Amino acid sequence: MAEQTILVIDDDIDLVEIIRVTLEKNGYRVIDAQTGDRGLALALTENPDLILLDVMMGKVDEGFQVAYQLRSSDITAETPILMLTAVTDRTGFEFDPKRDKDFLPVDEFLEKPIGPRTLLDMVRKHLPTSV
Amino acid sequence: MRCDLRKPTEPIPAASSQFVSAASLRTRLVWFDKLRWGAAAGVLGITLIAGLGLKAPLETRGLLLTGAVLVILNTVYTVRNWRFPAVDLGIELRLVKVQMVGDLLTLTILLNLSGGVENPLLFLYIIHVIIASLLFKGREIFQIAWLAIILFTAEVLGEYLGILPHHHLPVAGAAGHQLPFILMTLGSFWLVILFSAYIGALIMKHNRAIKDELVARQADLLGEDRAKTDFFRFVTHEIKNPVNTAQSGVETALELGGEDLSPSVRDVLERSVSRLKQATVIVRDLADLTRGGILKEENLALVDCNQLVAGVVDAHKDAAARAGLTMSMLLPDPPVTLTTIESMLETIVTNLVGNAIRYNREGGRVSVRLVDTGKRVRLVVEDEGIGIPRDEQQAIFDEFYRSTAARDKTNLGTGLGLSIVKKFVTALGGFIEVESAVGKGSTFTVTLPRKSRRKRRPMF
Repeated sequence: MAEQTILVIDDDIDLVEIIRVTLEKNGYRVIDAQTGDRGLALALTENPDLILLDVMMGKVDEGFQVAYQLRSSDITAETPILMLTAVTDRTGFEFDPKRDKDFLPVDEFLEKPIGPRTLLDMVRKHLPTSV
Repeated sequence: MRCDLRKPTEPIPAASSQFVSAASLRTRLVWFDKLRWGAAAGVLGITLIAGLGLKAPLETRGLLLTGAVLVILNTVYTVRNWRFPAVDLGIELRLVKVQMVGDLLTLTILLNLSGGVENPLLFLYIIHVIIASLLFKGREIFQIAWLAIILFTAEVLGEYLGILPHHHLPVAGAAGHQLPFILMTLGSFWLVILFSAYIGALIMKHNRAIKDELVARQADLLGEDRAKTDFFRFVTHEIKNPVNTAQSGVETALELGGEDLSPSVRDVLERSVSRLKQATVIVRDLADLTRGGILKEENLALVDCNQLVAGVVDAHKDAAARAGLTMSMLLPDPPVTLTTIESMLETIVTNLVGNAIRYNREGGRVSVRLVDTGKRVRLVVEDEGIGIPRDEQQAIFDEFYRSTAARDKTNLGTGLGLSIVKKFVTALGGFIEVESAVGKGSTFTVTLPRKSRRKRRPMF
């Protein structure tokens, strides 16, 4: 089976590299983008198997905008999206993963700081065919 | 008096909040001494001119004697006020009372000697009562007022019943046609009217100055509070990402290294993770602090408190067991509901129960009680831990404050938990109390209204 591709969209390049190490060591291919627009473009051309998406990038709700656009495209409509959030994001932008998950178009919220174990568990949960 | 928002405000001087301080009272006493000199000069002057000069049929000897007593007394007062500095407000006030009683007695004697009810100078009682209302509080003012009433009533009735001698005021015979009597009446009338107006204006000027000051200070405080919240929000926002990423990084390094890591490297990395976790807690607490100041009506919902408290206690069972503590919980039946903000209430209960566990003693007890008092709901969290010294009991609600004993116990606290609790409790319209004895334990009691609502207006 071909290795699965995970797209990481986050403006924190250090975090991207940290995530990359864990994922690559476990047999995934990792591609990344530091802005929502680049991430969208990459998602549409590369059609990744799973997308890790940061909520707060340039704009407070950029992650949500990206998620909605990913869902509205045929290519990525069914791709699992794991959204990375920090608890404190709620200070600028009122949302509550527990309360709002039903109408937010993502599959999982991962609270930062995210450790390697949790990351892998969650990725595996949403990519059940992986090794 | 407006203050610059940026400058730290000085405390409002005690003199303006109490209205009377020992020093300001002394200034007034000196002023009264001058008034009394005027009164003595008036008594002696008029008696000498009218009684001795114009040979008016006055009780000259009695009046001169009273005037002389007034001079002697006032000399004592003046010398005392001049030689001894004002130190104790209580002593000064007692002295004023003695002087006030003396003055009322003197006035009554003077009136008795100069016509009693016929003498228009009886208006001067009013001035004494006004002065008393300036210097004293509540009951004491009425004591002076009643003394004036009793003295003058006794004087008038005493004369009427023949118990006291009546000394006719020579000019009062055909009142409307006697120029000296008209002048006396007008003089005393002018004096009382102008004095009342002056004192009224003085008091109101003073009151308005205090009110302006309070309004300005309140604006300062609100501004400071907003600046602090903005600062916390900024810090929170700027720190959380690096801290989160660093923690993920170190955890990943630990994971990647696996068995290959030497014990010392693993130890260093594990310590780093633990400290980064602590930083994350601080960031989260700061975020809570910046969030919780304002109560938004749309976030209010009916919350089952029994369920919420039980949930929090349940979530802490493992931590309590690890610390060798026994937890007990007492919930009201039927379950109590509150119209409140669930997340804030949950944070309140969580922080209090967390503290009760963290700062307990080996084998201690944590008791959580929810009491329905009808209009309010009371949450009592009791521990058998280190306790808080009396002089630190207010400070524990300040941001970043940690009691000495708490710091000795663990370095894991952020010093924010209780300030968050206090802020949330206040925002929800409730209040928090603490009872504590060092080495025995602490009891925190949160009282919340059945329905939280936004306060209509600030105090001013």
